[in-house]
Amino acid sequence: MIRPTEERREAGSYSDFRATGLRWVLLAVVMLFCIGPLFWQAVTSVKPDADLVRLPPILPAEITATHYERVLLGSPLVQALANSVVVAAGATVVSIVVGSFCAFALARLPIAGKSIILGLILVTSMFPPIAVISPLYLVMRELGLRDTLMALSLTHAVYALPLAVWLLTSFIRQLPSELYYAARVDGCTPLRALLTVILPLARPGLAVAALLVFIFSWNEFMFALTLTASDATRTAPVAVALFPGLYEIPWGDLAAASLVVTLPVAGLALVFHRHIVAGLTAGSVKG
Amino acid sequence: MVPRRTSMTGAAMRRTLSEKSWGYVLAAPAFILVGCLALAPIAAALWLSLRHRLPILAVDEFVGAANYLDLLSDDRFWAACRTTLYFTVLSVTIELVLGLGLALLLHGLTRRPSPSARIAQVVTILPWAVPTVVSAQIWLWLYQPDYGLLNYLLRQAGVVAASVDWLADPDWAIHAAIAMDVWKTTPFAALLLLAGLKAVPEDLYDAARIDGAGWWERFRMITLPLLMPIILITLVFRTMDAVRVFDAVYVLTGGGPGNATETLSIYAYKTLFQSLQFGYGSALATAMFVIAAALSTMYLLLLRRHLREVP
Amino acid sequence: MTARGWLIVWALSVTGCMQPGESPEPAATVLVFKHGRLSGDGEALSGLLREFEQRFPGVVVREELLPASSDRQHQYYAMNLDGGSAPFDLLGVDTIWVQEFAKAGWLSSLDDILLPAERDEFFPGPIEAATFEGRLYALPWYIDAGVLYYRRDLLERHGLDPPRTWPELVRAAKLVLDAERDGRLAGFVWQGKQYEGLICVAVEVLRSHGADLWTGDRDRAEAGLRFLREAISVHGITPLSASMADEESTRLMFGDGRALFMRNWPYAWALLQREGSPVRDKIGMAPLPSFPGQAGAPVLGGWLLAIPQNSPKREAAGKLIRFLTSLSAQRRIAMDLGYNPTRRALYAEQSLLKVRPLLKDLYPIFVSARPRPITPYYLALSQAAQPEVSAVVVGRKTPREALTAVRSQAERLLPKSAFPSKAKES
Repeated sequence: MIRPTEERREAGSYSDFRATGLRWVLLAVVMLFCIGPLFWQAVTSVKPDADLVRLPPILPAEITATHYERVLLGSPLVQALANSVVVAAGATVVSIVVGSFCAFALARLPIAGKSIILGLILVTSMFPPIAVISPLYLVMRELGLRDTLMALSLTHAVYALPLAVWLLTSFIRQLPSELYYAARVDGCTPLRALLTVILPLARPGLAVAALLVFIFSWNEFMFALTLTASDATRTAPVAVALFPGLYEIPWGDLAAASLVVTLPVAGLALVFHRHIVAGLTAGSVKG
Repeated sequence: MVPRRTSMTGAAMRRTLSEKSWGYVLAAPAFILVGCLALAPIAAALWLSLRHRLPILAVDEFVGAANYLDLLSDDRFWAACRTTLYFTVLSVTIELVLGLGLALLLHGLTRRPSPSARIAQVVTILPWAVPTVVSAQIWLWLYQPDYGLLNYLLRQAGVVAASVDWLADPDWAIHAAIAMDVWKTTPFAALLLLAGLKAVPEDLYDAARIDGAGWWERFRMITLPLLMPIILITLVFRTMDAVRVFDAVYVLTGGGPGNATETLSIYAYKTLFQSLQFGYGSALATAMFVIAAALSTMYLLLLRRHLREVP
Repeated sequence: MTARGWLIVWALSVTGCMQPGESPEPAATVLVFKHGRLSGDGEALSGLLREFEQRFPGVVVREELLPASSDRQHQYYAMNLDGGSAPFDLLGVDTIWVQEFAKAGWLSSLDDILLPAERDEFFPGPIEAATFEGRLYALPWYIDAGVLYYRRDLLERHGLDPPRTWPELVRAAKLVLDAERDGRLAGFVWQGKQYEGLICVAVEVLRSHGADLWTGDRDRAEAGLRFLREAISVHGITPLSASMADEESTRLMFGDGRALFMRNWPYAWALLQREGSPVRDKIGMAPLPSFPGQAGAPVLGGWLLAIPQNSPKREAAGKLIRFLTSLSAQRRIAMDLGYNPTRRALYAEQSLLKVRPLLKDLYPIFVSARPRPITPYYLALSQAAQPEVSAVVVGRKTPREALTAVRSQAERLLPKSAFPSKAKES
């Protein structure tokens, strides 16, 4: 395996040092940019109610856990998180499985009308959900699936499918075609070739697609609001939207809730990180 | 895993499915799912756009293209178009540029696995991980003139004398929404582009370095062309999302002040669910679809020559 | 784990979650009560519903919550009531929707549930808003109206009384602002964001001048709109940020001691008087001012209860509606939830007034509160008017331009009712 090129550079060169330094500065700026608003939410979530709008000081004199108490113990948010996990996991599994099959067919197999299929799948992502939500809801209601997690999961899978298919098609296409033909010559069916040869090599693409589908499903609000009705099925964004009263918005609670809702995804990103970063160094093509 | 070596006689090959059939079998589930849960409701919406449907007046009649003709002469529609296109062009461009920069940064960082790399990647994902309704509330809180952190920091730094009313000024409001969208969606672009960067073989860079190519040349000759398919996907999907942007603007401004930030989706939402004009609202939604489709087609055509294999 | 393994795990977990809640005994009627999330103690309403279940054994009430946002609820109801087979038996409706829902044939007439003789027991405003073509379609659940909050301590310090007219308010605000020399103190804050709240404010100001947004004397209406703009541009008593202000941001601003006057709904009082609030015991509430020689009329808010058309459980739902609007239930709503009851008798009950003394001051306000235009097209009218009034607030349009636009749009929308066959969507 070729050594990472960094090590080939002369050690201790000034431009090298400057480039690294610049890189760290840039990274720090980016981190600040990404985390800034969330840090502010964290501060808000521990401020006592009376201090919520006092600015200065940025950091409160005393911190309180009441917002987290109300959010975690006094509201159905934890149940909603569990629902979100189920829905998002289901949507991810369905989307990746179905999407990778379809992407493989589009990338490697000689079917007719590829542009049409890709185009039609893309149309799903082009049409605004607000116009689609009414007919979809009525269909679900007729099927008796209103207020079920399965309906929501499937809906999310379908609406995330275009991104998954397009992404995976691109990744699979970039893999050398000899791999596939070699597997076929060895006697694999196309499906087996896909599962045993192609997909392991497309891991970064799969990991990214899975993460994006999961996050899409986790964050999705409009379908979740419409297709669920009770605490048992509500997902996290809908639960957060239920915090405000008619006029009153409990800002501290809302801040706590928004952090609680974001953390599971952050954890998941950690898990997926390994797979995304695996890249060519881990699963390289030899020769 | 060592595949079993079987000799494929002519008879054996005929018994198994042909490649083409396999292709259809594998593509079928996606097609069925999309057909039932997406294309069918879309068709219903399209059909509705050809009707006058006013439940309050108990009107439900087929009128052909009348809604679309009304659309063309509707000033509010054109204003919303302008706002939406402005939002789309600005936010997608900024997100792509920043996303690429971020991806390059992370790519360099993650060449060697390290805890800082892991943390960096997780932190950059965070804005994307926040649900839009929540992040809109977060930024609404940030933009407040009196207790918003943004104005406080600007005042402390001496950049402004008094608080800026980000959302109160018709000229500034859309930029405030764009800033929020950029914060939220740059990680999405960065993640896609990072995956694309990871797929570029290192040996190409090494060969170029041996040939004496500098950083910019390496970027222009190797990275950019190989990244084009991913850039295209990022552009297409981000554009489609930006054309359909709703929560980000609705929670911040409700389309105001004075309809200055009314995007097409807000206009469609109000028409559908406030004024209860289902036919006209569906026509508005179709117009959004046409715009998104036109932009995507434009990208595909323009960047076609950069793709090695075109769809 | 292989993909197949994940698929199995997911399928199992989802099937396990497919049935929401437990299924009731077959004999019981389940009433689904759909309403927006209420502030405050969530248990209080549940307690009321359990009491109802005890009084009427065989009926079980299941609450299904919607977000408190009026827009989101309206969207939900529009989608569900249109088909005619709504998946709920009782719904909470905003005062401005009843006419629209009634005309669309989505609601069941409640004339048999609340007899005409009993209607006087409620405030006249909500009953008027819920009566369509002579029939009652919803029963008042809780009521709201716009009020003026003021800083008693600041006014006393400068020897001023709570203003009764708008010019008085402007004078008082200018006087106090000049004297206090506090750059962060605003004179008068109100909701100026482009949404329904802005229309409430505009209607209140215009009506207090003897006109209205869609009808009435044009010059007076223009003067009303001009007052709103001039509060910002000429008198400087309202900050520029008014055009992004809603109920909560004005409440927070006033609650932090940074405003002298505030127009808001009564809900803010309890929050402003909370432990630790900087303005605790320094505030007062008064009816909204009017222009000299005119009578003010706050805008009526609040929510009502209705039953969908063709509901198979109408009888049971009717009982629930009567229960929730009964004297005892309304009393509990006032005491435990802090919402304002719609039965007039409660405002004279000493025991209730001891716990909620504010109700005494609110009574004349609620009696005089008038609904926004009572027409099925109110939402369309409001949608058309919101950007115009908002444009006046930011100074993009003159009051005359905005008013012309609002009224010509109203003309286009309203006469449709006379010619349904020629109805044109635009």
